[in-house]
Amino acid sequence: MSSSTDWQVDVLEYAQKCIYCGYCSLCPTYKELKWEIYHPRGILEQIKLYFDEGTKEKTKLEASKTLFDAIFACTMCKACENICLVDIPLLKIWEQVRQESFKKGRWNPLMLSLYNKVRDTHNIFGLPPDERLTWAKLKGLVMTRRVKKKAPLAYFIGCQASYSGKMSEIAPSVVTILRKTKTNFTILGNDEWCCASPIFLAGGYSVGKNFAKHNLEELKKLGVKRLVTACSGCYRTFKIVYPRVLGDSWDIEVLHISELANELIKEGKIKFKKQFKEKITFKDPCELVRHCGLIEAPREVINSISNVRFEELPSNKEEALCCGGGGLLKLNNSELVDNVNTKLMAEIKYSEANIVVNGCPTCLDTIQSGVRKEDLDIEVIDISELILRAMGEKK
Amino acid sequence: MTLKKKARSRFVRFIGKKLREDTPTLQVYSRDMADLPSLVSIFFKNKPDGVILVNTVEDIQTIYAIANETKTPITQRGAGTAGLGGSITYNGGLVIDTKGIEQKFFFDPLEQTVTVNPSYVFSDLQRELKLQGLSLCAYPSSYHSATIGGWIAHGGHGIGSAQYGGALDQIVELEVVLPTGHLVKYTEKDHISLFVGSHGTLGTITEVTLKVKFDIPLKHQGCTFDSPEELVRGLKDLSLTFPYSVWFLNPKHVALFNETFGYNLPNRYVAIISKEVSFEEEEQEFNRIFNNAIRNSGGQILDRRYTEDIWKFRFRSLSMLKHCSDYVVSEVILPIENSDKYLRKLITKFKGNIHLEGEFISPTHYALLMYILSDEKMSPLKKTLLNLKLYNVSLKSKKVKGHPYSTGLWFAGYYSQIYGKDEFRRYKEFKKSVDPKNISNPGKVLSPKIRFFPVVSLKFAVKLASRLML
Repeated sequence: MSSSTDWQVDVLEYAQKCIYCGYCSLCPTYKELKWEIYHPRGILEQIKLYFDEGTKEKTKLEASKTLFDAIFACTMCKACENICLVDIPLLKIWEQVRQESFKKGRWNPLMLSLYNKVRDTHNIFGLPPDERLTWAKLKGLVMTRRVKKKAPLAYFIGCQASYSGKMSEIAPSVVTILRKTKTNFTILGNDEWCCASPIFLAGGYSVGKNFAKHNLEELKKLGVKRLVTACSGCYRTFKIVYPRVLGDSWDIEVLHISELANELIKEGKIKFKKQFKEKITFKDPCELVRHCGLIEAPREVINSISNVRFEELPSNKEEALCCGGGGLLKLNNSELVDNVNTKLMAEIKYSEANIVVNGCPTCLDTIQSGVRKEDLDIEVIDISELILRAMGEKK
Repeated sequence: MTLKKKARSRFVRFIGKKLREDTPTLQVYSRDMADLPSLVSIFFKNKPDGVILVNTVEDIQTIYAIANETKTPITQRGAGTAGLGGSITYNGGLVIDTKGIEQKFFFDPLEQTVTVNPSYVFSDLQRELKLQGLSLCAYPSSYHSATIGGWIAHGGHGIGSAQYGGALDQIVELEVVLPTGHLVKYTEKDHISLFVGSHGTLGTITEVTLKVKFDIPLKHQGCTFDSPEELVRGLKDLSLTFPYSVWFLNPKHVALFNETFGYNLPNRYVAIISKEVSFEEEEQEFNRIFNNAIRNSGGQILDRRYTEDIWKFRFRSLSMLKHCSDYVVSEVILPIENSDKYLRKLITKFKGNIHLEGEFISPTHYALLMYILSDEKMSPLKKTLLNLKLYNVSLKSKKVKGHPYSTGLWFAGYYSQIYGKDEFRRYKEFKKSVDPKNISNPGKVLSPKIRFFPVVSLKFAVKLASRLML
């Protein structure tokens, strides 16, 4: 297992590597805020000022104000890191600066509250852990035979799909797909802990590591070899963060529901019966496309639906726009989330799609609020729901 | 120089929260792409006294009014991605960041023009245009970050200039706030030419109407040459293909390209020629002329599998800097004719340790980027000396009728060498009439006096230093 020192990078050294080319100006929040202190290269310049031992205390204090403000105005969409010409691991640096901000007691109260909720109740809503399966009861699904059953595949539901009423269709859709395809799967039930994505995004290494250890232990007890999730945040955490935190002991294959569905389609286990009249588009979640490079699976799934009218958004795949909802920005600056989302909404309107398909509860929530705000006649659904509808299992 | 109390209170009263004076903000706005050695602070003050994020034309007019009243220097900044010091202050004062100006995009399909605000980033504009089946005529290699306004202010050449010319050839209308506060729209080339390459010294660009073209696919061909002489001969012949772009690298840079992008290109001068091709016959004709050109010049044709892929890295060439700990850059414009001697001398002077990257800016001229890379962080003195050496060789391009790419701060005083004596006379007259107090980006274009010995001009001091120290 890795130690906290492996987690850390030399932020000052990397900041000095920046060539100031400005390619990272594609940052969605910088495009809204416009001041160069929010520009990723501007943040690196402030890092130099803050972390340099030669800087006077007064200047450090001044730098900390703007630096910590800028670091939490980031959606962690990774557009800056992917375009960086000199390969600076910007997101790792941001996480570390967020950690520094925590150490200095400079988190905003909402973030601190989220952190405490996750730490104490193991979910982002601060709700009792024994309510994790309430979604199943509400949908009339009996999950008792699936909970903590030994199986090669586990479905990790995630906090949003478990607790949020807005995401109430995701978990039932995934479970129905798995049942209809006679896939042998298990769920962790009340022993499912948050994947700790918000903790890691906030820079909380040691607390996050406990969550990772717990989830790994629970999965190992059930003999799980593969893990599927419909949440891109959980997917990124399992795929990228857990191996960093747990090292080789994390040997579970991680799948997004679109990847598993694609497999099942190829094996002939999923057969699409229904056709859609509506025009469909897919919004690539940043955590799938830029963090994990998952591009084709959702498209292959959608294009497997016969006679589907699928149209890409103008900015798609690696260049997909961020919805603004990631990186805990909702807690730090909800107005900024709306502003960032406006650009995505413009692209959705341009595509003239009737259904926006997505693979991330956070994007789903942000896009839905954009649709409501602009009073658009557009349906926003998770890819699992689309699959279920195309299977003819749901209207 | 810090902002005088009276000036500060006037700006705060009329500009309010759009003015920032905190140390981190000033630090961020104190540099552009050129990472300057600390020694240069002897010559000038690159840290501004404040930064204003302007949102409207009225903001700029207000700023100019107060600046004139209080003699506060104003330095405009787009993306700050050039390395000529054009967007950093010479003697403090205020930086006005034009990124805050509300995004405007107006496309006129009949005239095939697009009207945008100057803070539009090229890649964003290109994306919008592509949705209409159109494309920019030319754009800089820093396409992902440079703004339209900054490009024009720097003299604007780039990819596509070989066919469509530079910024001056593409601007249909330019809206500018003059230092007098007047908002003026220029459509005459004679007027527009004054603002192209003048680094905001004559006013602040607030709106630009550019010619656009149909988005015609590009076909690429590649070739290699053994020596600078063969390269120049080849470039002359290649210009006969009426290319959209000709991009070339010297062997040293090719080696780094191979290392960075995992290629195995031959260790020779490599040139990539791109041409807009609409139909098959046109492509065949291009191939024919290209083959003849290469045969005549003694070059070798590169496998086409390479050339298609190489174009993808066209905008990522700065990635090569990740292999070094420090670097020094300069850029000159050279005529193709006779430039082989200059290239040969350049290589000899730096004992082969110079990276060269060229791009056609017209059928007869090309822009040459010169990089000196270092494996370790250079000391301020070493870096200053290397900067001076590169400065010196940039000026020596005059011997082959070349000149620095643009003036900015580093080449302030060389306007007449770049644009000609008549144009310089017109520039000076216009400057005098619109900015008698020299508040609009002072220290650029016209050489300023050095900071601690204000009887000597920066041009003279740097030139002297570059000769004596070397």
